[in-house]
Amino acid sequence: MAHGVPTNEKQQIQRVEMCNITKCFPGVLANDRVCFDVNQGEVHALLGENGAGKSTLMRQLYGLYRPDEGEILINGRPYTFNSPADAIEVGIGMIHQHFMLVPTMTVAENVALGLKSSREPMLDLDKVSARIRELSQLYGSIIDPSAYVWQLSVGEQQRVEIIKALYRGASLIILDEPTAVLTPQEVNDLFVTLKRMVKDGHTLIFISHKLHEVMAISNRVTVLRDGCLIGTRLTSEVTRNELVKMMVGRDVRQLNPQPLKSGPVRLEIQGLQAMGDRGTEALRGINLQIHGGEIVGLAGVSGNGQRELAECLAGVRKTNHGTILMDSVDISFMPLKQRIDSGLAYIPEERMRDGAVREFSVQENVFLHDHASPKYTHGIFLDFARMRVFASELVKNFNVKTPGLDTPIKNLSGGNIQKLIMARELSRQPKVLIAAQPTRGVDIGATEYIHQRLLQQREEGIAIFLISEDLDEICVLSDRIAVLYEGRIMGIVERNEATVEQIGLMMAGISMTEAMQR
Amino acid sequence: MNDVFQLSVVAGILTSAIRLATPYLYAAIGEAFSQRSGVVNLGVDGIMLISAYASFYIVLNTGSIWLGLLAAIVVGLLMGLLMAFISVTLKAEQGISGIGLYMFGLGLSSLLFKTTIGTVKTVTGFQPVKIPLLGDIPVVGEIFFQHSLLVYGAFLLVPLAWFVLEKTTWGLKNKSVGQNPAAADSLGVNVDRVRYVSVCIGAILAGIAGASLSISLLNLFQDNLTAGQGFIAVALVYFGGWKPVGILWGALLFSTVNAFQLWMQVLGVKIPSDVAIMLPYLLTIAALAITINRVRQPAALNKPFERGES
Amino acid sequence: MFKRLIVVLVLLGVLVSACATPPTAVPATEAAPTEAPATEAPTVEPVEPFRIAVIMPSAITDMAFSQSMYSALIAVQTEMGGESALEIKYSEGMFKVPDAAAAIRDYASQGFNVVIAHGSQYGASVQEIAVDFPNVTFAWGTDVNTFGMPNVFAYTAAAEQGGYINGVLAAMLTKTKTIGVTGPVEVGDAKTYVDGFVQGVASVDPAIKVSKTWTGSFSDVALMTEAAKTHIAAGADILTGSSQSVVGSIGAAKDNGSVLWFGTQQNQSSLAPTLVVASQVYDWSGMIKEIIANNKAGTLGGQAYVLQLKNDGLKIVFNPDYALSAEIKAAGEKAIADIIAGTITVNP
Repeated sequence: MAHGVPTNEKQQIQRVEMCNITKCFPGVLANDRVCFDVNQGEVHALLGENGAGKSTLMRQLYGLYRPDEGEILINGRPYTFNSPADAIEVGIGMIHQHFMLVPTMTVAENVALGLKSSREPMLDLDKVSARIRELSQLYGSIIDPSAYVWQLSVGEQQRVEIIKALYRGASLIILDEPTAVLTPQEVNDLFVTLKRMVKDGHTLIFISHKLHEVMAISNRVTVLRDGCLIGTRLTSEVTRNELVKMMVGRDVRQLNPQPLKSGPVRLEIQGLQAMGDRGTEALRGINLQIHGGEIVGLAGVSGNGQRELAECLAGVRKTNHGTILMDSVDISFMPLKQRIDSGLAYIPEERMRDGAVREFSVQENVFLHDHASPKYTHGIFLDFARMRVFASELVKNFNVKTPGLDTPIKNLSGGNIQKLIMARELSRQPKVLIAAQPTRGVDIGATEYIHQRLLQQREEGIAIFLISEDLDEICVLSDRIAVLYEGRIMGIVERNEATVEQIGLMMAGISMTEAMQR
Repeated sequence: MNDVFQLSVVAGILTSAIRLATPYLYAAIGEAFSQRSGVVNLGVDGIMLISAYASFYIVLNTGSIWLGLLAAIVVGLLMGLLMAFISVTLKAEQGISGIGLYMFGLGLSSLLFKTTIGTVKTVTGFQPVKIPLLGDIPVVGEIFFQHSLLVYGAFLLVPLAWFVLEKTTWGLKNKSVGQNPAAADSLGVNVDRVRYVSVCIGAILAGIAGASLSISLLNLFQDNLTAGQGFIAVALVYFGGWKPVGILWGALLFSTVNAFQLWMQVLGVKIPSDVAIMLPYLLTIAALAITINRVRQPAALNKPFERGES
Repeated sequence: MFKRLIVVLVLLGVLVSACATPPTAVPATEAAPTEAPATEAPTVEPVEPFRIAVIMPSAITDMAFSQSMYSALIAVQTEMGGESALEIKYSEGMFKVPDAAAAIRDYASQGFNVVIAHGSQYGASVQEIAVDFPNVTFAWGTDVNTFGMPNVFAYTAAAEQGGYINGVLAAMLTKTKTIGVTGPVEVGDAKTYVDGFVQGVASVDPAIKVSKTWTGSFSDVALMTEAAKTHIAAGADILTGSSQSVVGSIGAAKDNGSVLWFGTQQNQSSLAPTLVVASQVYDWSGMIKEIIANNKAGTLGGQAYVLQLKNDGLKIVFNPDYALSAEIKAAGEKAIADIIAGTITVNP
C-alpha cells in the first residue's frame, strides 16, 4: 500500500513533467494537450481564468483524475496514479481550494487519517501530535493538535492542510487558489510560510487567477486559457499586462471612474440587526448611508454578515431591529415585490439559487418578476411577441452570449448568466442597486463588462451597494469602503484614504482608529 | 404499589431489561458502524428476520448452536454485501434500498419458514451460563451474571465497538468517510471500501441480533418474529448520538421502562394497559426530543460519494 | 439504470412477500365457470364442487386463530370427499383491511358459494360488498351482527366458556396460588377468554391471584416472552393467554421447565408436550357444515352462530401426555356439563 510512516527520507522530486495532457469531461475539453513542468526548489504559478483547466490539470498530477492522453514523468520516469494514495507515495501533496478537512475531527486526527500508525491497528495520536507541533512551529506558530478543526480560523485550517502534506513527506506541494479565502494579512503570513518551505527545498505549484500574487511569489508562470496552454514565462521577464493578455486573449481596458457627483441619500440603514441561519446574531447594528451616484463597497472576510445584510435589504430575510429607508420611505416591512416595484434592484450572491431558475429559458428568466406587468399581458394572457422583443434587446445590449432565447439558462457560462441577471435588474431603472459578489466565478471579460456597467449606472445617479470578498474589486470601484466584521461596521473610509493593508486589519477585527495609525 | 420497590422486583426488572436490550444492542451498534460511514441501512429488520430464520433452521436440523450463529453471521454478511452493492457501488437512494431490503428479508424469511419448517417449533438454543463467583453474588449475580452467552456478547460489544470506532486507524477512516468523504479520498482512503466494510459489519451484527432472538432469547421462529425491532434499533442510533455508549443508554432506557411496565401489570398496579404499553415509547420519544444532537450526525449521511463533485 | 435496479429490488421484495402468502391451498383444478349461480347448485347433479373462500389475518400455521379456521375447513373437506366435493381457496396474512376487502370482492366475483371473512376487522368491508353479490353467502366473525342482510352469516366463539374450564383446572393445580395471563390486546375473544378464566379460578378459590399483562400487539413474540418470564419471576406456576404471539409464552414456560400452560383457540399440546394441561379448541367445522347446508337449501344468511360447549363448537382437549389426576379431570368435566346444562353461566 501507498502510505509510509511519515518521513522526509523519500526520494526528492527533482523534476516533474506533464506532457501533452488531454482530459475530457462530458461536453467539455478541460485540458487539450497541455505541457507543464516544474523543477525542484521553484515556485511555478499556474494562471488562468475560472474554467481554464488549472485545477483539472493538477488533479491529474495528484491522482484524483486520470488523463485521457499524455504522460506524467517524475525525475524522468513515467508514473500512472490511480488514486491520491499513489501521488502521496511519490511525495506529492495538494492543498485544495475547498479544504479537505473533517470539521468534527481534531487536527491530529485529520493529519493521521489514512496513514499507517506505529501501533497499528491502534491510533498513536501522541506521536502525531508531537510531529504536528514540530512542523507547525517550523513554518509559523504552533497549532494545537487536539483542537477540533471547526474551532480554527480559516487561515489556521489552511496551515493544517499544509502540515498534512508535509507530514506525509511531500516534497512537491500543489496549492489550489490558496489565497481566495484569506485576509490580506493572512496572505502575507502564507507567503512567508511558502518562502520558508521553498528555502527548505520544497517545490510549489501555485494556482491562482490573481496577478499580483503570481508576480509576488513565483519564479515561473504558466498561463492556461480554455483548456489550452498559452505559454510559460519567467516571472521576472513578464509584465502584468502581458499576463492579462495571455489570460483573456486581448487587451483589457483600464477602468477610469469619473469624479464623484454625489446626490441625495437614497438608501439609509439604521441600527439593523438580524439573525443568521443557525440562530446566531449575524448583524449587530448596521448604520450606513448611500447617496445617489455613489458606489459604497462592503469589504470583509466571508461569513461576517455580508449575505445576511444583502438579504435583509432585499427583503428575503427577517430583520429583528432597525430600519431601512429608501428615498426616506421606510421599506423595512415591505414585502419583496413592493421593494422591487419601488425601485430596489438586487443581484444575489448565489445567482443560480436565488437569481435565476436553472431549467428556465433565457427569456423566461428575464420575466421572472415582470411577467405580470401590464406591458406584457393581454388580460390574463402573456404577450409573448412583446416579451420576445424585449428579451432579445436585453441580450443584445448586455452582450449576453447565448445560442438563443429559448436556451435553458443552465447551459450558459457564469459570466453570461450574471450579465443576464444584471440586465434584468437594471432594465427596471432602479434607484438603488445591491450587487452581492457580482463577479464571483465570472471570467475576466465579463467582469470587465460588469464593472463598466456598474460605473455607468453610478454616472446615472443610482445608489450602488457593492458587496464583495474581492478586495481588489472593492478598491477599484468604490467611492467609499465600509468594512464588516462580525456583524458590525468597523469603519467607513474614502477611496485612497486607506491602504489595502489598513482595510485588511479592519477586516481582521482591528478598530478603525488603530488600523489607520499603523 | 409498594411492591414495585421491593428488591426482588427491582432485580426482576433489571434482569428483564438486560434480556430485552440484547437484540437492540447488536442491531443498533451495527447500524452505528454503517451510519458513521455515511450509509443509512433501513433494512436492519429484514436482515434480523432472515438471519433469525437461518440460525433457527440450522439449530433445528443440526442441534449445533454454534453452527446456527455462524449461519446468522454468513446470512447477515450476504445481506450486507447486497446493501453495500446497491448503496455504495450503484449509489442508489439509501432509504428506498433499505426498505427494499427489509421487504426482501421479511418476505423471504416467511416463505422459507413455510416451505421448510411449516409450523411453530422450538429448539434448545444458547442456555444461561452462570459466571463463576460473580454469578453467586446475591441479587447482583442474578441480575447480571446468569444470562446466555449472546446476552454477555451484546454488552461486551459496547466497549469493543467504542475501541474500534474511537481508538483505531480504521475507526478514524470510518468516521471520516461519513463526515467528509472527499477529504478522506484526497488522503488516499478508499471511501467505497471503508463503506463496504462498515455496512457489512452492521449487517453481520444485525444478523446476530436476529439469532439472539431465535436461538437464545425465544428459541423459536415465527412469521415476522422481530415485529419491527430493527426499526427501533435505527431510532436508537440517533438517540445514542452515533456512539456505542449512547446507544447502550438508549437501549437500556427503552428496555427498562418496558420491563417496568410489564412488572406493573403483573403486580396489578391500577393503570390502563394501553397506557402501560405506550410508556416506553413515550419516554423514549421524550428523551430523544430533549437530548437529540444533530451536530454529531455524520455530515455525509445518505450521500453517495463520487470523486470530483465539489 | 440504478433507479430501475432499486425498483426491481423493491418489486422482488413484494413478490417474495406475496409468494410467502400463497393465495391457493389447493391448486385450482380447472378454470371455474364465471357464471355459476349459487342457487342452481342444489338442483344440478353435484359434478361441480361446492366452493368456499376464506380471508384470514394471520398465517394458517399460527397455532391459533387462523389455523383453527383452516383446520376446520380441511376437516369438512375430508368429510365431504375431498377436493372434488369442496374446493377451498384462502388468503392469509391479510392484516391490512383494504387488501382483505379487495380479496373478498375478488372471491365473490369469481363465483364462490361462500366467502368467509375471518376477522372482526373485516365487518365493514363485508357489509359493503355483500350488497353487490346477493347470490353469494358471506360469513364473518368474530361478531354476531349480520347487518340485517339475507346473505350474511355472523359467527363468534363464547371463549369465556372454555376460559372458565381452564380456570377451574388451573386453580386446582396451582401450588403458588399465583397464575399469569399473557394477553395481546384487550379486545374480542382475547378479552372474553381471560374474563372466563378469571371467573373459573375464582369459583375454586377466590384467594388465588391472577395477574394479567397485555403487550399491545398480536405479533410481538419477544415482549410476550418477557411478559411470561415476568409472571414466572413474580411467582406464577401456571400461565395462559391468547394470540399467535403466545408461542413466546409457551417457550418461556418450557425454558423454566415446570410452569404449566393452558391453551386456547387451537390445540397447543405439541409446543410443550409435558407442560400443556389442556386447550380450548375452536371447532368451526360444525358451523361450516351448517352454512353449507343452509346455502344449498337456499338460505344464504341472516343468522349468527356462536361456538359453545353445548353445540360442540368449543371443545376442551386434554393433553394425553400430561398426567392429570382423575379427580381434577372430573371436576373439569363436571364444569363442562354444568355450563352445557346452564347451571353455570359465564359472563363475557
